[in-house]
Amino acid sequence: MKTSLIGVTLLSLAMGARSLAAPPLPAEHLTAEKLPPNNAHRIYVLDEAFINEIDARVHLFDGDTYRRLGQIDAGFSPGFNLSPDGKTSVIGTTYFSRGSRGTRTDVVEFTDNTTLSTSHEIVLPPKRAMTLPTYFNVAYSADSRFVYVSYVTPAASFGVLDPAKYSVIGEIDTAGCVLVIPSGPNRVSSLCESGRLLTVTLGAEGHEASRAMSDAFFDPDKDPIFVQGVPITDGYAFLSFLGEVHEVDFSGAGPVFHQPWSLVSAAEKGQWRPGGQQVGAIHRHLGKLFVPMHRGGEGSHKDGGTEIWVFDMKTHQRVARWPVTTQKLAPVVAVQVSQDDAPILFAATDRSDVAVFDALTGHLRHVEKQLGQTPWLMLNP
Amino acid sequence: MRSIDHLFEKSARSLARHTSRRSLLAALGKVLTGAALIPLLPIDRSFRAQAAEPAAGKKAEANPATDDPNSCDYWKYCAIDGFLCSCCGGTSNSCPPGTAPSPITWIGTCHNPTDKRDYIVSYNDCCGKVSCSNCVCNRNEREKPMYRPSRNNDLNWCMANADSNYHCSVSVILGVAEK
Repeated sequence: MKTSLIGVTLLSLAMGARSLAAPPLPAEHLTAEKLPPNNAHRIYVLDEAFINEIDARVHLFDGDTYRRLGQIDAGFSPGFNLSPDGKTSVIGTTYFSRGSRGTRTDVVEFTDNTTLSTSHEIVLPPKRAMTLPTYFNVAYSADSRFVYVSYVTPAASFGVLDPAKYSVIGEIDTAGCVLVIPSGPNRVSSLCESGRLLTVTLGAEGHEASRAMSDAFFDPDKDPIFVQGVPITDGYAFLSFLGEVHEVDFSGAGPVFHQPWSLVSAAEKGQWRPGGQQVGAIHRHLGKLFVPMHRGGEGSHKDGGTEIWVFDMKTHQRVARWPVTTQKLAPVVAVQVSQDDAPILFAATDRSDVAVFDALTGHLRHVEKQLGQTPWLMLNP
Repeated sequence: MRSIDHLFEKSARSLARHTSRRSLLAALGKVLTGAALIPLLPIDRSFRAQAAEPAAGKKAEANPATDDPNSCDYWKYCAIDGFLCSCCGGTSNSCPPGTAPSPITWIGTCHNPTDKRDYIVSYNDCCGKVSCSNCVCNRNEREKPMYRPSRNNDLNWCMANADSNYHCSVSVILGVAEK
């Protein structure tokens, strides 16, 4: 008791001395933070939230300050994309009227990327493809005139939306071919189980004007491609399970297929493979391709990469191997690279962390722990 | 992974028009015995419950590594990417109470190390409640991307259910595959 009394007395004296030395803190004003101006190292990380799947969200993360800047809510099993000017986020998602159950409402929501306010929505027929996020679940036309949404019921089709009038223009049947790969102001290509691409060309009002089926450009039985494309200057590159790179030029009236090339040597083929959810990223000006690679066999195509391999897109030569597990990172399931002259490579792991690398050297700068539960798609304007 | 009501009838008709069921059935025809057990995947497998009972007298000594239906290593789960219903109040081939099986699904071929047979299995999702979140399992043997939907486990196969929320996944034996 005596000791306690002495302690209290000393504490009171100390507090009194401090109060004499410094003025009290001023009263604070509650405000809402404004989003800082965009920069090249901002990234949008889609967390599928697989363990409570009705509650996906997009986290905005700054690759320079390592700050989380804000969030866009994304509902259930969403698709996500950015407008061509980067000013708008578009999310195709589903809500149930009683949270986890009840009437299903499929919707496309538009969020202003300067304020993170969700400003508009378009209610869809209940057909939206509920699948893993890619560039091609929901996408803008190059001139932002249309937004396309992939439908699977399981019959495949897509919706054409008017993002200016916030209305559904119509639905176009795709004869079993899936997803919406946009090109130009009015073309949509879809991947078919035969290894071909169906390309639908729209008229000025957004209705089908014509369609064409390409030749097969990969073998879905022997070596399927991942549906997650990687943007290149004139289209997308698709990686195959065994490491072939199929570059597809979508700049013309129909897709043009470049000669495939391989990420792996003959000795590595079947041993080392790309894998994960977002299986590649390309710095288009530098012509560098980043791929998470792992050792594995058939069925390992969703395994994350224990190394990131870097390729020159012109010479098709591997120019670097960056082991990630030696840096105490879990296998990498998604990659994205900023497009500036001091690029950052973002790598999401299967333990929900997002690593920030110098994309020129492979130097690990930062690990952002637990950026959501299941960060499976990362986009940047 | 996800829903069927009046939508399903429409969906099934549309699917029949637009998917390459012929190629799927051709492939199945090469490997399956007991064709009477094979439904027109991935259209309507709501009757699969009656057809899915495993053959009697085939059980052997359990292999702890592969015969535990609560383990992702269980042989029947060779292409499940989701939560195991056996850890969520169901079993390897039944949905937890209060959920509804998806009548449409994806299929796979899994090898049973106990009897050394390959089996055609269907993976159905159980629907109508939020993610079980227990016993996550991600195996993808012979799994194919979304453009081959009958072999794809990324789709929410609860999509045509009245309540299309995904809860967990089961694996149901359809028959023996020939070597």
